[in-house]
Amino acid sequence: MKTRLAGLAAALLLQQPLAPQYRTALPGYRYEFPRDHFNHPDFQSEWWYYTGNLKSLDGHRFGFELTFFRQAVSRDPTRNTVWEVRDLYLAHLALSDLDGGKFYHLERINRSGPGVAAASESLGRIWNGNWQTQWHGSDQELKAVSERFQLHLTLHPEKPAVIHGENGVSQKAEGPGHASHYVSLTRLATSGDIDLRDKKFEVHGTSWMDHEFFTHQLEPNQTGWDWLGLQLQDGTELMLFHIRRMDGSIDPHSAGTYVDAEGKTTHLRSSDFKLQPTGEKWKSPLTGAEYPIHWKAAIPKLAIELEAKTPLECQELTGQTKLAPNYWEGAMVITGQRKAQPLSGAGYLEMTGYDRPVQLVP
Amino acid sequence: MPRFLLFYRLMVRPLFREPLRTLLTILAIALGVAVVLAIDLASDAATGSFRSSMETLAGENELEVVTSGGVPEYVVGTLATLAYSIRVSPRIEDYAVITDTKKSLPLMGLDLIAEGGAYAQSALQKTAESQTQSASEQVFNRLGDADGIWVGSSVGYRTSDRVELLINDRVRTYTVRGVYPDSNGNESAIVMDLAAAQHALGRYGRVDRILLKVPETPSLGDWQQRLRTVLPAGVEVRLRGTATNENRRMLAAFRWNLRLLSCISLIVGAFLIYNTISVSVVRRRPEIGIARSLGASRGVILSAFLGEAACLGLAGALIGLPLGRLMATGAVRLMAATVESLYVSSRPGIIELNGASVLLALAIGVGVAVASSYSPAREASQVSPVEAMARGRREYDVRVHQARDLWLALVLGLAAAAASRAPAVAGKPLLGYLAAILLVAASALAMPAFVDALTSVSSNLLGKVFGVEAMLASRTLRASLRRTSVLVGALSTAIAMMTAVGIMVGSFRQTVVLWMSDQLPADLYLRPAGFAAADRHPTISSGVAEEVAKLPGVAAVERLRAYEISYEDMPATLASADLNVRRSHRNSDFFSGRPSEQVLAELRDSNAVIVSEPFTYKHHLKAGDSLTLSLGATQASFRIADVYYDYSSERGSILMDRQTMLRFLPDPAPSNVAIYVSPDAPLEIVRAEIEKATAGHRVLLFSNRDLRAEAMRIFDRTFAITYALEAVAIIVAVMGIAGALLALVIDRRRELGLLRFLGAATWQVRKLILMEASLLGLLANLAGLALGFVLSLILIYVVNKQSFGWTIRFHWPVEILFGALAVVYGATVLAGLYPAQVAVRLNPIEVVHED
Amino acid sequence: MPILSFEDVSKDYLTDGQPVHALKGLSLNVKRGEFVALVGRSGCGKSTLLNLAGAMDFPTTGKVLLDGVSTSSLKDNGLTQLRRERVGFIFQSFQLLHTLTVFENVELPLLLAGKHNPREAARERLAWVELEGLGDRHPHQLSGGQMQRVAVARALIHSPSLLLADEPTGNLDTTTGNVILELLRRLTREQNTATIVATHSLEAASLANTLVRLRDGKIEEITRR
Repeated sequence: MKTRLAGLAAALLLQQPLAPQYRTALPGYRYEFPRDHFNHPDFQSEWWYYTGNLKSLDGHRFGFELTFFRQAVSRDPTRNTVWEVRDLYLAHLALSDLDGGKFYHLERINRSGPGVAAASESLGRIWNGNWQTQWHGSDQELKAVSERFQLHLTLHPEKPAVIHGENGVSQKAEGPGHASHYVSLTRLATSGDIDLRDKKFEVHGTSWMDHEFFTHQLEPNQTGWDWLGLQLQDGTELMLFHIRRMDGSIDPHSAGTYVDAEGKTTHLRSSDFKLQPTGEKWKSPLTGAEYPIHWKAAIPKLAIELEAKTPLECQELTGQTKLAPNYWEGAMVITGQRKAQPLSGAGYLEMTGYDRPVQLVP
Repeated sequence: MPRFLLFYRLMVRPLFREPLRTLLTILAIALGVAVVLAIDLASDAATGSFRSSMETLAGENELEVVTSGGVPEYVVGTLATLAYSIRVSPRIEDYAVITDTKKSLPLMGLDLIAEGGAYAQSALQKTAESQTQSASEQVFNRLGDADGIWVGSSVGYRTSDRVELLINDRVRTYTVRGVYPDSNGNESAIVMDLAAAQHALGRYGRVDRILLKVPETPSLGDWQQRLRTVLPAGVEVRLRGTATNENRRMLAAFRWNLRLLSCISLIVGAFLIYNTISVSVVRRRPEIGIARSLGASRGVILSAFLGEAACLGLAGALIGLPLGRLMATGAVRLMAATVESLYVSSRPGIIELNGASVLLALAIGVGVAVASSYSPAREASQVSPVEAMARGRREYDVRVHQARDLWLALVLGLAAAAASRAPAVAGKPLLGYLAAILLVAASALAMPAFVDALTSVSSNLLGKVFGVEAMLASRTLRASLRRTSVLVGALSTAIAMMTAVGIMVGSFRQTVVLWMSDQLPADLYLRPAGFAAADRHPTISSGVAEEVAKLPGVAAVERLRAYEISYEDMPATLASADLNVRRSHRNSDFFSGRPSEQVLAELRDSNAVIVSEPFTYKHHLKAGDSLTLSLGATQASFRIADVYYDYSSERGSILMDRQTMLRFLPDPAPSNVAIYVSPDAPLEIVRAEIEKATAGHRVLLFSNRDLRAEAMRIFDRTFAITYALEAVAIIVAVMGIAGALLALVIDRRRELGLLRFLGAATWQVRKLILMEASLLGLLANLAGLALGFVLSLILIYVVNKQSFGWTIRFHWPVEILFGALAVVYGATVLAGLYPAQVAVRLNPIEVVHED
Repeated sequence: MPILSFEDVSKDYLTDGQPVHALKGLSLNVKRGEFVALVGRSGCGKSTLLNLAGAMDFPTTGKVLLDGVSTSSLKDNGLTQLRRERVGFIFQSFQLLHTLTVFENVELPLLLAGKHNPREAARERLAWVELEGLGDRHPHQLSGGQMQRVAVARALIHSPSLLLADEPTGNLDTTTGNVILELLRRLTREQNTATIVATHSLEAASLANTLVRLRDGKIEEITRR
């Protein structure tokens, strides 16, 4: 899936009626790359999502997150000057200094403006201010600047793009269009530099890119979600999410995708897997939310049993404006087994709706 | 302790014996201190305030990116995507008038999406305790609304109020989406999103400036270097607040001159303290003698009298503090008007009476008192014990070295002449003021000789014409020559200042009147109703001028567009006009003396400009020089074709052809339009036509005469503060006259009693005192007028020229001047009324036998 | 007819809140040509008597008649007028105006009375006091005796019927004082004025036609010669 940040964006932004001028995600969408890596202004919401686990030459571990959101505000053709807010561009940047025990995160919001933020196929670039990803062929160059740290990473896909869900749509709730088009690059060989507090780290590792576009919001009885994306050492990847409901149950539209070493994908329905917190929790001193930071997952039909733990508890992103929902997004260490063979890997976990329900505006 | 007792008995107690006179002296000091303080406080408030809104709301940004006519907005994208951790905050800045209250407020367009968090926050706090998410969403939702505004709390609106704003030539209704805290009213502004601001102002494609917050390292200078490499040629990156500093620099001369003007009262006050202490020294010679014979050293006597002066000064300062604070309120209003019409749009800020101003008041009060009492106190200390106790000594037999003082006066006068020819020091006419002060000193020194000569020549004549009382008055004044000289000196200084400033302002006014008749050749003038000031040029929607041009009866229209720019660290006005329409003027307005058509033809569609006289003065340029202007993204060099006289604003102006400007800054909206009516068309009908055609816009249509009247109204308002300052100086002087006459009455009570014995009626005694007042007034008026004339030459040709760079033609404002002198004369005579009453009430039997 | 008569005159003052009875039921007549010496201790009422006689003050009770006019019946202007026409004052400390010349000092009463061209009269009076030729001097250029002569000339400028002198010799040495007294007596006779001199001087007392001895505001003794 990820409705992940759909709720975030939706909560943040205008609660305009889902105007009919936007397209919804419907089965049978014909993907075409690289075009579909870029902007889909016909859809109301869209994001590009980069997370990764990296290690410096001397073994210092980092996690990073760089996310670009686009939320359409208006398609009124008369409002056509540069500063007119046609889309809101939101971006999050986070660095987890896993061995240093520190978590840094930033948020920014812009309109497209005079080249301040956009996702342009012709430029091969998706950016928000000086946070950007520049495509060079199939490789991407990530650059993000902040006061305390900078990222400069090159991402090389080792597998083709994965299209999640069934028939080109990742269904999030009952009904046509209550879905998204969801594409991932699940294994991106990553190398580059991280500058942190005047120190430069040359890093290598693996990243994951999600790209999703849709015109849809969480249902009223859906309160939040948990998402896990991970790369296993045997060359396979797994994405699982479940949507939590008001009554504590798990929404049947929860789903996942398994990518084998050759890049072949298997869609997982909610009945195909179990994703459960162990009960170990971290309480945010800032929001008071209690996040389950230790998870177990089981996929009986693939004979996979996994445990996901985090080396850094405090990976909560809190909005500076207090307008966006707070969520936890952090690097995870994976252990487990497949058919009694030990299995390990790394990944990212996202949890939303723990301090309060990810509220949707009627 | 014994010393203190001595001091108390000798010096302080006598002060209570004549409470009224002591009070008058203290009040004179208080007024002097109050005026200086008021001007100090008010100029801080009035000239400091233009900083307030724009700069306070500019937050912690260190740098700003600017250029003439506005920064092309793509520069925002360039800066935002630079790989530096800098925060980029574009701003559109102008003014809006709330139509209900007619209050003009800064209008700030900022990126509410990127920077709105803070505003949303405060808006949230105001919208009840609803920290709920939905409220926050609603706030955020509307950040980009075209009709949403945020206002400072001091403006007095609440969320979701509807507000009508006049911006340029349009009125629109906006909805208050939030109120931000604005504790002292200094930050009150109307905030809207950039998109909304662009719509409101009709300015697209450019922002007024881009604020930047850069990391601490490297230095700001290095950051400027770095950023310059990515900016277009015409675009400048400079320290934020540079404009404020430039404005400050521009206003420095104004503030400085005003401050000096405010010192006149203090100078007059100094004369009076000198007089008070002199009188008290003369009167207490016996006491001093006794104290000396009892072993008091000279130092004790000196410090006792200085102490007395210090007491008076301190008391005056303490009264002057609240008085000054009070006067500042009025002064701020006057000054803000001046600043606004001559320099920069400003709203009066708050008046802050802080520790520094308290110290200043105390320092000048005590300082002036002690300094001006030094000479009489020294004289007191030189009284020998024996001498002081000798009886029968005449009271005012104080030596006056007339010849020596005249020589000294001559020397000072020559020094003044030399100083007046010297150039400005650091842009300030320091030597011009020195010349003025030297002249005041010279006239003070020459005063005894002047009074002596005039009274000795005139007393018999006076006696014949005005009776024996006049003769007696004249003799009395001559007899107490030093006291009389000081009084005449004080009043004549005040009168001289009044005369000098009066002549200068009158000359200036006359110069402007003449200039305007050349400068305003058109029949009608159109300008937007929006907030205008020397540095604010609201525009008329483009197309309006062209509509008007098509109306029957309109022969031609001339569009003028003005921009606020910075030229070599000084603010300036850059303007363009339809030069082909400019009609030939009766006189040449140019330094070269060439006919206007010839000069203007040179500008037509070429990189040539004409600049105003103050501009050349500020930047040391002349015709034929070239100057480089940043216009939008480009830089271009212009030749100065000629220099024109301009009295409309002290900021320098540059004028070019409209076509030339449009090549660089393509915004066609004019700031105002001059309309020429066909000779055969009736003006009123054409006027009505124009009003009909512009009905959809908030514009003001002035006839040529209205505009002149308006200009003169602004001119007069501009100088209101100087009149107020002079009035206070005159009041101080007149109070001094009253106090001194009172002293004279008390000191001469025996003589006045004697006159009654010799057959004088009470009315004759009253007449005598009033004659003395009148003579003092007459002498002071004569001396003041003469000194004032010389000072006015210094003001016009040295101080004004060096401070502001204006060429003013000398003109006697006869009626106003003599009217004012008559009022001062009247006031002086009136000041004698109370002392005369005291004289009349003296019991001759008692006073004659005192002794 | 007496030029001056006191009819049962009393005068009370308030001094520091305490009533002082300066004159107590005093009666006195002075004729033209009479030279009266008023003697008595300080505070006996001499000055008060002179002030009442010179129309500078009103009696508390009784009448003071100057040339038959009761001072109590007059307002301030009337008193001034009376003084201008009938009274000349001479003081112990001369009371010349230092800002004026001798001529001007002498002329002052006439000028105050609004008379023009008083110079001839002044010249004449100066001749009477034997100060011809000193008219253009200033008082400080004169000796004490000369100053008092100027004062005498001034007192006589308007040909008063009553000349009042309060200790005219008090600031002078005895010889000079005697000369002044002699002068006063001579002028009293020549000008047919009445002169009252308050004095401590025995010389004055001996020169007088009438000696009035005052004590505690009452006439203790009148001796006429």
